[in-house]
Amino acid sequence: MQWAIATAAFLASAVEFVEALTIVLVVGVTINWRSSLVGAFAAAVTLAIIVGTLGVALVQYVPIVILRLVVGIILVLFGLKWLKKAILRYSGLKALHDEEAIFEEKMAELRTRGETTSQLEPFGVALSYKSVLLEGLEVAFIVITFGSNVTTTGGLSGIASAAIGATIAGILVIGAGALVRAPLKRVPENTLKFVVGIMLTSFGTFWAAEGFGYNWPLADVFILILIALYLLASFILVTWLKQVKERQVAMASTDRETMVTAEQEGVRP
Amino acid sequence: MRVINAIYQFIVGDMIILVGIILALIILLLIEYVPFLAPLRVATGAILIVAVLAVLVATLSREALGKR
Repeated sequence: MQWAIATAAFLASAVEFVEALTIVLVVGVTINWRSSLVGAFAAAVTLAIIVGTLGVALVQYVPIVILRLVVGIILVLFGLKWLKKAILRYSGLKALHDEEAIFEEKMAELRTRGETTSQLEPFGVALSYKSVLLEGLEVAFIVITFGSNVTTTGGLSGIASAAIGATIAGILVIGAGALVRAPLKRVPENTLKFVVGIMLTSFGTFWAAEGFGYNWPLADVFILILIALYLLASFILVTWLKQVKERQVAMASTDRETMVTAEQEGVRP
Repeated sequence: MRVINAIYQFIVGDMIILVGIILALIILLLIEYVPFLAPLRVATGAILIVAVLAVLVATLSREALGKR
């Protein structure tokens, strides 16, 4: 079992499943649970097929050096995307993901359709399927890329570890969602996104350089140094962006005060 | 075109990140295959780390200062 791979897949999956669960819940509450669960299950099967076929094909047919380079670059791209979003949200420059608001908005949309039936409703199945597939596709990609890179140390254990991590996350999120029957707003989505962003960027940097034939000092232990380095850089960036935001807010309020004063002076005879 | 855009949005969705990492990749490829630049091979890891951090700073700066 590759614990680092399983953990990264678990965290990434948890974030995406929380987002998918919101739509599955909306469909369940507004249309019916049968359509919602059939759509979600069909999407889960599709994702399992994608991971099973694409993952195995990659591992078997692509040389490990090329795989490391390509996968490393893709992980860096993915990681930077997640990290950027998380840092912007921490600094207040981007609004936090609000599952409750999305839930209410989607509920209102579906209620205007005025459809409540206990039969299998194609629209509900499709909506549930689409949301789980789209959110899960990114996870499937992470599972394949993360997992396929660790095959040299033990057959398909990389993909299997990543798949186990993703499955546990799915079971936990779906279980929690089934219990509370409400969007999981207490899940620290941004923190999970931040941790996954750091892990993807660190592993991506490590593997991409190895793809160029570079041998890191201290071998695999250097991944921990990369994690520490990117964490430190992220904290510095969050602090800087918070200051930028405070300055922008201060400037905006000064501008507003100046405009109000100018208007009042213009009104006076 | 729509397919390319969908893949771009799915994987990265940010032109600064994409261009920055491609540039880093080109530099590392040159270091790897141009004999004249071979002495720089020992710095491959450091160059990649600096490139990743530079890309992160650049994209966040655009978001923060561009919104003014």
